[in-house]
Amino acid sequence: MRPVIVPTADVNSETCTIVRWLSADGALVRPDDLVVEVETSKAVLDVPAGGEGLLLRAAREGEEVPMGGTVAYLFPDRVSLEEFRERLEHERQQALEMAAKGATRGPRASRKARELATRHGVDLAALAKTGLITTQDVEAAIRRTAPVDPAPALSPLPAGQGVERILVLGGGLGATQVLDILGGNPARRAVAILDDNRELWGRDVGGVPVVGGRERIAGLYRDGEIDAGIVSISTSIRVRKMFRELCRDLGVPMTNAIDRTAKIGADVRLGMGNVICAFCHLGVGAVVGDNNFLSAYNSFDHHCVLGSDISTGPSCVASGCVEIGSRVRMGTGIFIEPYLKIGDDVQIASGAVILQSVPAGHTLKLRIGHTVLVPPKSS
Amino acid sequence: MPAEGGLIFSRALGNTLRALLERDPRVILLGEDIADPYGGAFKVTRGLSTDFPDRVRTTPVSEAAITGIAAGLALEGFRPIVEVMFCDFTTLCFDQVLNHIAKYGAMYDHQVECPVILRTPAGGGRGYGPTHSQSLEKHFLGIPHLRVVAASLYLDPLTVFSQLLSQSEPVLYVEHKLLYPLSMVDAGGDDSPELLFGLDSGECGLPTVTISAVPRRECTVTVFAYGYGAVQAANAAWDLAIEEEIFAEILVPAQIAPVDWGPLERSVAVTRSLVTVEEGTAGWGWGSEVAAQVSRRFFGSLRRPVESVASARDVIPAARHLEQQRIPGAEAIAQAIREAAR
Repeated sequence: MRPVIVPTADVNSETCTIVRWLSADGALVRPDDLVVEVETSKAVLDVPAGGEGLLLRAAREGEEVPMGGTVAYLFPDRVSLEEFRERLEHERQQALEMAAKGATRGPRASRKARELATRHGVDLAALAKTGLITTQDVEAAIRRTAPVDPAPALSPLPAGQGVERILVLGGGLGATQVLDILGGNPARRAVAILDDNRELWGRDVGGVPVVGGRERIAGLYRDGEIDAGIVSISTSIRVRKMFRELCRDLGVPMTNAIDRTAKIGADVRLGMGNVICAFCHLGVGAVVGDNNFLSAYNSFDHHCVLGSDISTGPSCVASGCVEIGSRVRMGTGIFIEPYLKIGDDVQIASGAVILQSVPAGHTLKLRIGHTVLVPPKSS
Repeated sequence: MPAEGGLIFSRALGNTLRALLERDPRVILLGEDIADPYGGAFKVTRGLSTDFPDRVRTTPVSEAAITGIAAGLALEGFRPIVEVMFCDFTTLCFDQVLNHIAKYGAMYDHQVECPVILRTPAGGGRGYGPTHSQSLEKHFLGIPHLRVVAASLYLDPLTVFSQLLSQSEPVLYVEHKLLYPLSMVDAGGDDSPELLFGLDSGECGLPTVTISAVPRRECTVTVFAYGYGAVQAANAAWDLAIEEEIFAEILVPAQIAPVDWGPLERSVAVTRSLVTVEEGTAGWGWGSEVAAQVSRRFFGSLRRPVESVASARDVIPAARHLEQQRIPGAEAIAQAIREAAR
């Protein structure tokens, strides 16, 4: 058996198309006989047999074959030709079956989404999405199908008549800070904590029980067991914002938690859902949006304007008339000059001294002013 | 868009030229070896001289002369379309284009127009060496009153040439040679089930095609690319979406100069990050100008500086493996998108 090969006469094409066969399947051909006409992007070529024998076609008219690829085989006798034809037919059938399997592989999804769906037993076809399925879609499906197991035995703490019953969202270290702020005030009481981490369910933080995950928010409010919610999470702005929007969508009011050592100046306008830790200062005329977490020793001086969903570390200090956008994340020990504007979604590294406005979406990293640890001199 | 499935670009372009010859008696094709039986170095004009022997003319080997003759024809009311065999030879047309063709309209207060169209195959990837592989269009980009248009698999060339013939500014039409054997993509049809295609008609008369795996609002980077770079970028967009959930929107402008800013602004306003891809050498080029303009228009709201992918500032070797090190490859484009999407 010897192959009939398309000559690589055209350096501009990687493939060519079979236009028509000039020799019949099984015909006896001689070396100079033209057996097939192929077309590249530049020309139509007649391909000679290049040898003597019985011809077996390896491609159909209209099929694309690589330049330099095999288009036919030549055999010395009919028996060897038939054997080879059967093998070729078998391989072609297998390839067709593989292709068919590939075609019915299901909807289009990213690799991560496919892996996540497999782990959680989500049927991608059932998502009925026309575009590309991403991990977000699969996560949403997992949330929808997750068995709601509210552990009904877990109920909020009781509270006396007229006491504001507060639901704390998030059961981590932030919750201990919120509970510390609320403690000692007879008019307000944290009665329950929600956290999506199931391992916390049934446990308590500072005596306040974790009674379930976010799916309980609506029920607790509807059943009259809570009056308002507050987000204790300071480490993720995305999660803070998600909880605020969830409460808004469910019609659950938010409340502020302001430490009694904080100094709130005259004419300060404050939204809802803010956590303001010990020794904070809001100067006269400051305006603060909703759902901000201001750590200890923050000072936003007179006529500062803060957006919503902000989270700061301790000792962030802004001079007067500074504007800070929403979803801004600030590290520890940051100073901001007066009249500057910090845009939405800005992230500021610890220790920054800000002398000019920061446009939205930017991250402020620290290149200078870092500390260097010098070991003691050996005596 | 009426591109037929399976029709390769060189054939679609040949069909376009045939249609123009049939319906517009002012159209004349000029170029070296474009007549049958050779039909041009890339066979785009194959068969046309047989059917239109008076209007499809093979010329002597002098690009300056061909372009000058085209200028004269255009001044007399014809619509000459010149094939410059390789983009590398457009340097020999440069004086005719810069000092004559592009100036006549403004110089004579539009009492005459000189609507010459130059077509030329550009780009590497085929091992043709230093003087047959270049993308020299950047040297034409700043010329006043010259439109530079790039061939694309995503827009039927008949749509493009119909628009070019409906107006009177001269045009350099750049055809990346790797596009010739590739099939046209029907951006409006159902035979492209993987990527989402869109069309922003823009303001320059020629549209910008948008390509992405997910809708624009989920994309975190815009990629501005033309020629074969657009094909590479579209492939990268799909692979990055599937493998890494990085979502890019590819914008493929038909006209690369003057840039039609509207479609680009509408995308960058959402993604706030931009990568440009061109095969010309880096610096003083398309990507530099786009970066400068977009940085001005979006000062303060871009997430990161505009990134430009281009060829090394060097000659293009004939050896394939060395050539691949000089011109932007799929991985270089993917890496730029990865960085800019963050």
